[in-house]
Order: sequence, then structure tokens, then C-alpha cells
Amino acid sequence: MAEICCEAAAAAAGSDQKGECAGSRAARRRRMEIRRLRVVAEEASAKRRRLEADEEDAVGGRAPRYGVTSVCGRRRDMEDAVTARPEFINGHHFFGVFDGHGCSHVATSCGERMHQIVAEEATAAAGSSVSDETARWRGVMEKSYARMDAEAVVSRETAGPAPTCRCEMQLPKCDHVGSTAVVAVVGPRHLVVANCGDSRAVLSSGGATIPLSADHKPDRPDELERIHAAGGRVIFWDGARVFGMLAMSRAIGDSYLKPFVISDPEVLVVERKDGEDEFLILASDGLWDVVSNEVACKVVRTCLRNRAPRGGRERSSPTSNLSPRQSSASGGSSSSGDEEAGGPSGDGAGSESDGESAEDRACAEAAILLTKLALARQSADNVSVVVINLRRRPRS
Amino acid sequence: MPYAATRTSPQQHSRVASNGRAVAACAGHAGVPDEVARHHEHAVAAGQCCSVMVQSIAAPADAVWSLVRRFDQPQGYKRFIRSCHLVDGDGVEVGSVRELLVVSGLPAENSRERLEIRDDERRVISFRILGGDHRLANYRSVTTVHEAASEGGPLTMVVESYVVDVPPGNTVEETRIFVDTIVRCNLQSLEDTVIRQQAMAAPAAPHNDHNHS
Repeated sequence: MAEICCEAAAAAAGSDQKGECAGSRAARRRRMEIRRLRVVAEEASAKRRRLEADEEDAVGGRAPRYGVTSVCGRRRDMEDAVTARPEFINGHHFFGVFDGHGCSHVATSCGERMHQIVAEEATAAAGSSVSDETARWRGVMEKSYARMDAEAVVSRETAGPAPTCRCEMQLPKCDHVGSTAVVAVVGPRHLVVANCGDSRAVLSSGGATIPLSADHKPDRPDELERIHAAGGRVIFWDGARVFGMLAMSRAIGDSYLKPFVISDPEVLVVERKDGEDEFLILASDGLWDVVSNEVACKVVRTCLRNRAPRGGRERSSPTSNLSPRQSSASGGSSSSGDEEAGGPSGDGAGSESDGESAEDRACAEAAILLTKLALARQSADNVSVVVINLRRRPRS
Repeated sequence: MPYAATRTSPQQHSRVASNGRAVAACAGHAGVPDEVARHHEHAVAAGQCCSVMVQSIAAPADAVWSLVRRFDQPQGYKRFIRSCHLVDGDGVEVGSVRELLVVSGLPAENSRERLEIRDDERRVISFRILGGDHRLANYRSVTTVHEAASEGGPLTMVVESYVVDVPPGNTVEETRIFVDTIVRCNLQSLEDTVIRQQAMAAPAAPHNDHNHS
């Protein structure tokens, strides 16, 4: 088997040398032949991309640098979960923010299982005949969210008795518990974002702030229409709520409000743009309720810029680009951020070069600073933030 | 849980117009047994609404009542309650007051409630909301538990009715939809909990007396 694959790979490589157009046509023909050769064709395609852009990350490239914070804030309990799984499948990296409500165990289960489910579905889909990358990832995410939602019904049993889960043991099931789920898969050529609920993903590319998800609020016109068509009601009771109860129109779990609160994700697949894409932020509404997309991107951009590996070591204030009012509000946060950022430097030195670990620290600092800003602006919720640096690492 | 629960029978009433009277009785609660109908006759003032819901549970009335009667432990079956602390009285005597904390994600964090009626003989319990951040002013609830006629095994009927102010900015319909959703979930959870307890208790102690008082 391995020998056959090697020979096929060699044949494919040979075919590529006959010219770019011929290679493309040959690659397309192979995809329509047999599944086994599709993998080979992809490998050939990857090789060609490496030849064409030697410095470009490809399959087997370095994982992106990222930073994560997740704090309880002013809430009584911590019900958020965050997942970062570099290389969770070959050449792809998983990030997720899950903001729970009602209790913590659905979000906890999402944090533990969603990346495994997505990996299984993506691996299964890789062998399928679907050639359109966007359609394939949309299918992967829709199946994954449906599976995660089904698991949420019994999640307390599978997750085991977590110390943070307060549900009384005599309750047979917890269909009043749920979670948001915003997930990003960073691949060699695409960013995939899937969202369900009111956490959010925001991309900064070419200096522009680009939302990659749209909050599922019950009074969003299309969501309102869907809920009413299903026979449900949206009532304004401290904000727009499904039946006056839940302030989001989609969630993992919350069985008692089905079929009005659904777990179908909205999926966006975008091509990566080298030289333009800067970073991606995933965060819960504990951040977005008090910090706009634009301000968040300014904060992160400043942190990452001041930590460029070849730049000077001196740092200007990460909030220098904020308006005077905002700067004064976040001044304390900046100071706190500096103090907390001191810790990781010792950890980083052992495993990575100083320049590279500095950029990981930059992402962590950016996430911490956003969190401090949210708390300074009186966020009343848990705050969870993931910052992912999308600039390709130079090949070593 | 599907929205249209097959065995839940919501009996909703339009607000009684006050024909020159300050209050009017909410009449015609269909399905409420005569012996406790008077408990479900709420005085409904202008600007208030009321509703009554019925849940049938395939379990003995004593098993159901043993959960419903616990003013000090409503979280035993009410899923939206995170914790309950008595702040006055022992939870058994009329006049006891409890402070509830509500689970996250809902439009409330706390509620303060007073025990108005607890009749173990007739299986009647009632509470009034004294305060909290839920916008449910002057809320009064009555729950009664009854043995029902059944061809098969034991069958219990639970009736819960309430009266409450319509908050500023909301309609009667909206208020009823909101409160009915909570009551319906609680009654469904009560059924689930009792059935589960019965299933767990059956092999070990088939004749266990659930009424411990």
C-alpha cells in the first residue's frame, strides 16, 4: 500500500512538471477518480504551493501563536470554557470559546469534546467526494454542532461529577442548561468560523475589522422570523428573550426551548490572505457587551506590533491608540497587564527562542489587556478571550 | 422537551374586567377538583393576570406531594433555582420566608418568597413573592396535589395557579407566556423527578413511605 502511494505521488509530481495548467487538470481528474489518489493529489498540490511560495506555511507548518484568558469576573460562578488545540488535525488548529448558562457542565463538555468531534467529522469528510472546500467545512461544522448538542443532553453523566457543576443529583436531566459555541479552525489556506449563540469571532485583516460571526439575538430579524414561524415567542423581559427566558436564539443544549432555540451553527469559510491577515479574536459576550470590535482590534494590534521580534524592546502603551476617555478607563488595566505578563517570560525561555516566545507573550498580553478593559468597563459576566496571530511564522 | 407537552393542560383565562369593582374573582377554572377549587380562586385586580396549569403524573400522590411540600427545598424539582435559604421561620410554618438564587441566563438573579398556605391533609401549598429582581410584583401561587382516577397504576393530578401584576411595558399575553413557561417547566421537571425517584426506589423498597412527616 505504501509503495503504491509513493509511486502515485511520484507520478503526480512528474505530471506537475509538465506545466501548471496540465497539473491543475491532472489534479482535477484525479479527484474524480478514486479517493486514495485525492489525498495524493492534495499532497502534490501542497508541494507545488511550497515551491511557488517557499516561505509560505503549508501542511506541517508552524502552529499559529495564540493567547488565552478566561476569568470569572463579576459573576457568581465561572461558566465559560475555552479550548486551544494546535495541530488537532494535520496542518489545522482548533480554537473555541463556550459561554455557559444555567450551569457550567454544557460549556465544560463543549470545551472537552467539540475539538474531538470536529476532528472526527473533518477526517471523515476528507475522504468524501465533495470538492468544494467551503461546502465540506460547512458540513463538518453542522454535523459537529448537532453531535455536540445531542451530547449536551447527557453531558453531566459523561463529564462526570465536576466540582463546578451544582445541578442537584436527583434531577434526571438538565435541559435548562446550555452554552454558546464560537469555533475557529485555522488551516493552511482557509479560516473556518462556526458560531451558535452570542459569543463572537472578529478578524483583523489589512487594518480592517471584519466580523466573522453574527450574534444570535432573538430580535435579529431573521431569527425573530424563524422563531415565530416555529410557533415560539420573543418577549422583551430585560432585553429580547425567547419566551422571556433566554437572551440568545441559538445555543448548544437548552432542550426545554427547542425547537425555538436551535444549535445549528452559522459557518463562514474565508481564504487566508498572506500579508493582510493580522489576527483573529474569539471572545464571549462578557467582552463584546462592553468593548466594540474596533476598539478590541486596536488594542490587539498595538500589543502585537510592539512585540514584533525584530522591533525594539521598548514598549509604548498598548492603549495609546485609544481615545482619551477610553485610555483613562483602561490605564489601570494596562498596568495590571504589564505585571501579569511578567510571569510567562520564564516559562517561554526554555522551549522556544526569545523572539518567538515574545510573540506568544504578545498574544497573551493582548488577551489579558482585553479582559482587563472589559472588567474596567463594568462587564457583569465571565470574560473569555482567545487572540490568534495569523501572520505566518518564517520557516526555520 | 417539545413545546406541546401532551399531558400538560394549560387552562388560560382572559383577565376579568372590573365592572365597577376593585377586584373580581377568577372564575371557571376547568379541571380543578371541587374540594380545593376555592384555593385556586384568585382575586384578580386591574393590571393583573392569572393562569392555571395541570400536570398528570403516573405516580402516587404522596410521592408527588413529598416534593411539592418542601418550601425550604424548591430546587429539589424546580430547575431554575440555584439555591434556597430560609431567612425567617423554619420552612414548615406559614409565614416562613425564603431567599432564592436563580441560575444564570435568566432575567432574574434572586427572589424573596413567603409561605402562605401549607396543608398536608389537603395537599395545598401557596407562596407569595415579596421581592426580587424578576419584575413579578404581587405574585401569588397555589399548588394542589390530587389522586386521580386511573385504570392502570397510580395517577396524580397537580394543579398550579397564579396571579401576578403585568409589568410596565409588557402585555397580559406576554406576562402569561413568560410565567407559564416557567411553571410548565417546573411541572414537567416535577414529573421527571418523581418518576425517576419511583424507578430508583422500586427494587430496593417497594413500600417506602414517601411522606416522612
